[in-house]
Amino acid sequence: MTGHIVWLGFMGLGCVQAATLPVEISFERDVLSLLTTKGCNSSACHGSPAGQNGFKLSLYGADAAADHEMITAKHNGRRVDLKAPENSLLLRKPTLAIAHGGGHLLSKNTDEYQTLLQWLQQGAKLRSSGPRILSIDITPRELILKPGATVQLRVSGKLSDGTTIDLTRQVRYAVNDEGVVTVSAAGLASAKGRGLTVVMARGTGKTATAQFIVAEGARPGGRAQTWRSAPLDASVFAKLEEVGIAPYPRSSDRVFVRRVFLDLIGVLPTAAETERFVNDSEPNKRAALIDALLERPEYATHWLVKFEDWFRNSQYYSQGRTNYAFKRWLYEAVRADKPYNQTVREMLTATGDTTVHPAGNFWHPAIDFMLKTFEVSKATPTVTRLFLGQRIECAECHNHPLENLTQDDFYGMAAFLGRMKVKHGYAQYRRTWYNTREGEVIHPNTKQPVAPRFLDGTTPEIGDRDRREVLADWILGEQKLQFAKATVNRIWAEYFGAGIVEPADDFRSTNMPSHPALLETLARAFVENGYRFKPLHRLILNSQVYQLASRAPGRANGGDPLERTLLARYEPRKLPAEVLLDALGQVTGVAQSFNNYPEGTTAKDLVATIGSTYFLTTFGHPRRDTMEPRSTAPSLAQALHLMNAEAIREKVESPKNVLAALLEDTVDDRAVANALYLRALSRPPAEQEWANIEAFLAAEKQAGRTRRRAFENVLWALLNTREFQLNQ
Amino acid sequence: MNTRRDILRIGASVLGLDLPRLLASEGPAKNCIIYFQEGGACQHDSFDPKPEQPSEIRGSFGTIPTAIPGVHFSELLPNCAKNLKKFTVIRSMYSKEAIHEKAKQYIFSGSRPNNAFKHPVYGSVVAKELGPRNGLPPFVCIPRRDICADAGFLGAAYDPFITGDPGAKQFKVQDLSLPRNVSLEESAARTRLLQAMDADLREMEKSKLLEGMDHFYQKAFDLVTSESARKAFNIEEEPASLRDRYGRNTAGQGTLLARRLIESGVRLAAVFQGGYDSHGQVEKSSRKIFPVFDQAFATLLEDLEDRGLLASTLVLVIGEFGRTPHINHSAGRDHWPGVFSVAVAGAGVPGGQVIGSSDAQGGAPKDRPLSIEDLGATIYKKMGIEPHKEYRSNGRPVKMNDSGVPIRELF
Repeated sequence: MTGHIVWLGFMGLGCVQAATLPVEISFERDVLSLLTTKGCNSSACHGSPAGQNGFKLSLYGADAAADHEMITAKHNGRRVDLKAPENSLLLRKPTLAIAHGGGHLLSKNTDEYQTLLQWLQQGAKLRSSGPRILSIDITPRELILKPGATVQLRVSGKLSDGTTIDLTRQVRYAVNDEGVVTVSAAGLASAKGRGLTVVMARGTGKTATAQFIVAEGARPGGRAQTWRSAPLDASVFAKLEEVGIAPYPRSSDRVFVRRVFLDLIGVLPTAAETERFVNDSEPNKRAALIDALLERPEYATHWLVKFEDWFRNSQYYSQGRTNYAFKRWLYEAVRADKPYNQTVREMLTATGDTTVHPAGNFWHPAIDFMLKTFEVSKATPTVTRLFLGQRIECAECHNHPLENLTQDDFYGMAAFLGRMKVKHGYAQYRRTWYNTREGEVIHPNTKQPVAPRFLDGTTPEIGDRDRREVLADWILGEQKLQFAKATVNRIWAEYFGAGIVEPADDFRSTNMPSHPALLETLARAFVENGYRFKPLHRLILNSQVYQLASRAPGRANGGDPLERTLLARYEPRKLPAEVLLDALGQVTGVAQSFNNYPEGTTAKDLVATIGSTYFLTTFGHPRRDTMEPRSTAPSLAQALHLMNAEAIREKVESPKNVLAALLEDTVDDRAVANALYLRALSRPPAEQEWANIEAFLAAEKQAGRTRRRAFENVLWALLNTREFQLNQ
Repeated sequence: MNTRRDILRIGASVLGLDLPRLLASEGPAKNCIIYFQEGGACQHDSFDPKPEQPSEIRGSFGTIPTAIPGVHFSELLPNCAKNLKKFTVIRSMYSKEAIHEKAKQYIFSGSRPNNAFKHPVYGSVVAKELGPRNGLPPFVCIPRRDICADAGFLGAAYDPFITGDPGAKQFKVQDLSLPRNVSLEESAARTRLLQAMDADLREMEKSKLLEGMDHFYQKAFDLVTSESARKAFNIEEEPASLRDRYGRNTAGQGTLLARRLIESGVRLAAVFQGGYDSHGQVEKSSRKIFPVFDQAFATLLEDLEDRGLLASTLVLVIGEFGRTPHINHSAGRDHWPGVFSVAVAGAGVPGGQVIGSSDAQGGAPKDRPLSIEDLGATIYKKMGIEPHKEYRSNGRPVKMNDSGVPIRELF
């Protein structure tokens, strides 16, 4: 208990007492937290990989032992003088008694100075007999405020003796967006402007996080309505209500039918499908449409492409030899809605010739192409990122700056894959995976073999079993809820353009989900439904959240990032490359043909996709060479291509395209325009839009162009509208 | 509706351009041309011959004197030899990657590829930091998009613009001109219709996505209708004699196009010449590829100097690695990151120097070993970009160039 008196001293209740009391200063708890609050061990200062002027500390005090050695022993112990503690460099530098690149950070008459001095007087020990800090906690964890409001944060530390201490002033606060909230060194949070941000408190290598929402109309705690709708909606709408944002209205039938076709099966509804749906008077017609689409063959071809992105099926790794086998294997899993935990287990434990056992293709991105060897350092972060939503690749080279994740954790996980080997057979491309009975992963620093250890620090009993099976058991067993969260979050991101945790594969304590309860609900439902995707799609698509409009009169309509984060509307997104290319074929009636593929092949069916078409590359089809998600950004090349490309011109001008039949059958220009709009946008033109087209047609006639040519130009313009290129 | 001011602001945010930064960034180099020897050029057959070695190391070619007494090049580079006063050769560059994709990404970005994120290449950083000039795309690759030419975590907005093959008979830049049967008048008419069709959506939707799409459509219209842009890409306007001097092939015409483009406003143009990956019959392939390079590069230096552009244009000749000192069983040479040569010119780079040297066999740096990071820091410093500037990739701080030291001999 004596240690706690020092903390009182810290808080300004009598530093002289603290200095004279026979209490023991803890290096980890007291000294490291001081170095953290003063910024000494930040990445901009001594915490950078190279340190400063030879004095290197671990980032935010993550490695107490190394820091202690650096301070007390490195460079002949020049930084401490135990005989005359006041002469120690550790004190003389920050007080500017001698030159210090970091400037003046410490005054002699402060508690902090006394703490350091006392620690030196007591022998500058690493281990004190006092308790260690196990974790730190911040309250409140989630807060909704009006601008101008202030709140005192509290940070507490859990000690190894079971007690708790106040650390509010002994941590360093960092705010992601200081336009939303600022936090003083004493932990006083002030709400500034509208938005959502995360506040982090760091000390002694531990981190705690809180989420703040600031909005003018906030009604903290005012959850007046009870949302009786689907559980997904309850957590989203209750939060919106508390923040004072109304959800957008329900989307119209026309908007909904186009949206759900594009999202769920990757094709546009035909004019007939649209009209049938719009004119259907059944109250539950949306649910019925979702059910019907889930049974269409395009469902599997569309979602297959996303799984190929996840698992990086690419000739970049397999030189085309087994891409098709892997694609077929994945297709079958999606089509049959095979339980995902089974698919993942088969991939994680795959052995054998990958042409016969395609699941082994999962490991191909981790093969060093030149050396023809399997690289565990590439495979390990792939496994955790895909199946646990955890990015550990940084820990290959250094301890994670924000998490309690170390190189030891990385190599402990890698050790589960340490006995996998690959054999290159005929023509070097036929690959066979097998396990050896020995072989260990070597830690790059200690040069010692590393025993398999899970990310949570536990060590399993392995015996004679395949280590990969043990790993699969852990991910799909003990960690199944995290596995489910990581998976549903990826699916959610496909529908909403951002995950509930965003980036979608970056779960960590410092990256809070926007809607924790929503994530939990989805994950539990996914587990209960046997890890099948179709019930998950059904759950999401039938929610009110998914069915909201993307625009409404008088609303921000995309101008308010907070509405986006809190899911107040459906966020418009660009059609993915494959969907857009197929849609161009659908609208014009001239399907894209692909070299070496039979007629009727869609962009989603392609196997070796790198360099297959300029279109797909330009519109964001990825090479799948990294784990990063495909780019959804617009670009100059995209605009130029849709405007001017020969391939687009051919579709617009083809004598066999949609215009041939339409113009022959229909003399009424308005009916032709209606038909084109329905094909491309699933709606007829509005009155004003028709007036524009009518005037355009007249002008074209004046300019001496034929009716057909004029409609070719209308078609070109339609394909170039933002509306056509968006799902909204 | 977006006002013009909005569009300017959007343009600035999408292309990373703002005026103070633009003004502050004017280093000695206003432009950069990178000649990329794709596949990994053989140092023995080009800038670093080893005439005293046995033939299994020396290779098949003799040496010739250069404009600098005592310095010899391979006999395959007579024009380079004659022009050495205009450029500097580094004979002690080394890489740490031996696979094409990674090694290319390494030398084209100055940062070693890792498993955590993808680093943007020089052209993408230049595009972000310096932005477009005269309405032209800031980063252009000729003739095609190489696998390494990637904006990485900066996003597709900073990917290169691709020209197609200027050595082809009917060279036309991809998508830059109107379809052949659409007149300017017709294009203007249907573009007005398109704008009317989009009016409702554009009036209501305020997301960044739509802003970005609008911005690039506007840029695209400007490019297509801009006389100067069409001129910049129209290699036909160059005198036939100059086109002959560069060489009537993809690399030669590509190099000429690169000069034309940087003259018109492109900031970084990269020309890729393939064919260097000679695992077999290295003599045959060297005999084919080096003369093409020799002609194009030497002509580029002369041409830039004639036009007074050399002082403001940084020119680099790089490849992803060198080739093995020993000739293999297929009479070829395999990948060798141990040591290779790089040529640098323009933008205040003193000519006539040889920096560093390789060991007797041409397998490792003997003195002044220079890393790819050092080369990267040099490029950024020359272009007036702070080399240690930090970007964020998913919250992780990433320096454009982590550990490089600008090569002092080049300043």
